[in-house]
Amino acid sequence: MTAKPPAQPRPPHPLESLFCPRSIAVLGVTPTPGTVPNDIFRNILTGGFTGVLYPVAPGKRSISAVPAYRYVLDIPGTIDLAVIVFPANVVDKAIEQCAAKGVKGVIVISAGFRETGADGLARERRLRDVCREHDIQLIGPNCLGLINTDPAVALNASFARKMPDHGRIAFLSQSGALCTAVLDYARGQQIGFSKFVSFGNKAGVSEVDLLEYLHADEQTAVILLYLEELSSGRALIEAARRVTRGANAKPILAIKSGRTPQGAHAASSHTGSLAGEDAVCDAVFREAGIIRVTSIEELFNSAILLADQPMPRGDRLAIVTNAGGPGVMATDAAVHAGLQIARFNGDTTQRLKAALPATANIQNPVDVIGDARADRYQAALDAVLADDNVDQALVILTPQSMTDIEDIARTVCRVADSTDKPLTCSFMGACDVADGIALLHARHIPHYILPEWACRAMADVQRVCRWRQSELETVQLPQAAATLPKYLLNGDEGYLSEDRCLHVLQAYGLPVSDHRLCTCEDEAAAFAASIGFPVTLRLVSPQVIHKSEFGGVALNLRDESAVRAAYRDMLARASAHPDRPTVTGVIVRRMIPAGHEVILGAKRDHVFGPVLMFGLGGVFVEILRDVTFALAPVGPAAARQMIRQIKAAGILEGARGQPPADLDAVCDCLCRLGRLVHDCPRIEEVDINPLIVAPAGQGAAVADVRIRLGPADRAAVE
Amino acid sequence: MEKGEIQERVIKVVSNVLKVDPSMVEPDSNFVFDLGAESTQSVQLVAAFEEEFNVEMDNEAALSIQTVGGAVDFITRYVQ
Repeated sequence: MTAKPPAQPRPPHPLESLFCPRSIAVLGVTPTPGTVPNDIFRNILTGGFTGVLYPVAPGKRSISAVPAYRYVLDIPGTIDLAVIVFPANVVDKAIEQCAAKGVKGVIVISAGFRETGADGLARERRLRDVCREHDIQLIGPNCLGLINTDPAVALNASFARKMPDHGRIAFLSQSGALCTAVLDYARGQQIGFSKFVSFGNKAGVSEVDLLEYLHADEQTAVILLYLEELSSGRALIEAARRVTRGANAKPILAIKSGRTPQGAHAASSHTGSLAGEDAVCDAVFREAGIIRVTSIEELFNSAILLADQPMPRGDRLAIVTNAGGPGVMATDAAVHAGLQIARFNGDTTQRLKAALPATANIQNPVDVIGDARADRYQAALDAVLADDNVDQALVILTPQSMTDIEDIARTVCRVADSTDKPLTCSFMGACDVADGIALLHARHIPHYILPEWACRAMADVQRVCRWRQSELETVQLPQAAATLPKYLLNGDEGYLSEDRCLHVLQAYGLPVSDHRLCTCEDEAAAFAASIGFPVTLRLVSPQVIHKSEFGGVALNLRDESAVRAAYRDMLARASAHPDRPTVTGVIVRRMIPAGHEVILGAKRDHVFGPVLMFGLGGVFVEILRDVTFALAPVGPAAARQMIRQIKAAGILEGARGQPPADLDAVCDCLCRLGRLVHDCPRIEEVDINPLIVAPAGQGAAVADVRIRLGPADRAAVE
Repeated sequence: MEKGEIQERVIKVVSNVLKVDPSMVEPDSNFVFDLGAESTQSVQLVAAFEEEFNVEMDNEAALSIQTVGGAVDFITRYVQ
């Protein structure tokens, strides 16, 4: 028996040199207060950094009484992190010295790179290349810097005015200027941060790398993201899925600017990508489990609830209030936000009846009446939180002359200590309630000026819960699917012939009616007889793209002689045509009965990878643009959501006495199409138009399909 | 004026304006990276060169010069 070797300590995360350095050099420090180079140095110095700090300031003996060095190479000992504040045109010299010094992490604060044009872009690429060559983790350039509030590190390597409080929220931002505003806002709300990063032009470390790091960071409970562009769509999705699900799941909330059509248009024309389409951005976030919010206010309202309170077991809310009106407003807001107003069990109403005056409302929302003091709040909260039908509670207070606001706040804090259900508060007002709110803040009980904001935050928490509960379901694929990517390696770029399209769809189990590519009249007639009538005939020729116009489609053929006549007619047209198209054969297919016509599409976006599209056929797609998007692949739940999200979903669900369409079959097709484009990187575009959907339980069938292949090297590239 | 003399006087001006020891100032010294010039000092340097050599220089071109040697070459064009 061999002895088990001792466990090796886990190697430090590559970004550890940025977040937890033991020694820092600031390159380019100047002695002039109020300048970025000086402020950055002073912020690290006065922020309480627990490691060793060196200013690199050529020609200066010291900066803020700290001995200065001419070059980073002159510093004795190792440097974990270099913060570069030199002007852009000498940053490359600084980086080269950092590489020679063996520095592992670099933050380039300086602007003057990609954002300034071609010369700046070239400078940024040189910077990136040196860092890659020497395995240096690079944040920036053109950024505010980085903050780690962990008391063991206490690093404010930024030009933000003050070190934020220590907290459990991490904030990542592409915009540096927004960061200072966010820090000031959060300070006013007494919101702390675990990490705070402005990643600027992200020439090195991207939001994807940062998400991975923060996933493992024990001090971070919630991650907030501000993005202006989704340049790494697919990688972001994969990373976010890992972060937001599983044993160590952490919620990600994000703001992505450019929601308006004008902003979307600008982004779209700029990148030539679906990235500009806000609906696609919504789809990206939805598929990645990222909760998209619309304002900084909502971002933090939801973040504090996620960071400071336990996750609710469900969406049933109890409201305890001393004011009827706000209670009703909160009820409306809760229902509007998708929360359930809890129905109390008998024990709870008995307890409330015993503890509260006869005039109190003992149903939800519980009104403890305007003259309530702390004891009534205590009794009501104890009763509702003990109820199995209640998942969370909202405490509302309006300040009457007899309301003992601080006592009530202390009571709420005590209740919070004794329950595993989340509590939120709304002490309405500004001046009289300020001290009570401060007590709640000190105990990290989320407080909102308006009950509506509390409800919105709780609804966002529900979105997180639903995401965690949903599984990434998969569909069972036929065996042929395994060899399909190889099959698609052959063939030229462009549209596949119809028989190959049908083969591709069949390999993934999409419903294609019985068919065969027939090369003579007898074969066509015999095959039609074998599958049963009526059938359709479709000419297959690489030169004939628009079959109907050419006369290459014959529908509803009800017997053998009709098949033979149609076959002869098609071939005669082809041989009489001046272009003399090459005829590969004629596809004989079983005719699909009429039903709802829907469109299923897939397109490979250069940012997001394969994206699925769904809509009703005809005018709904062409004129009303009533379509939904999702990132492929999708599971049944996401596919069902795509169908529900089109405005005309009611037509499929059975409007005006019509039987509902077989939506399970449509879901299945979306799942299979998603897997197909996900698995086969050569597929550039698929257009199933239409898929004919029979009434519920009777399936669906592909009536027509076009598939376009990308360049032959695509499969190898990916 | 000899180029050697121009260089000597440039080094003296640089040393005075940037308040660095003359021994630090070499022809290939970069004003910012090697001598720690701040952005406002670039303007002061140009003004001091004009005064030292009694010339009026193209400011935009002068401000784009990054090294001591570059300044010597630039000023040489004016004084010869």
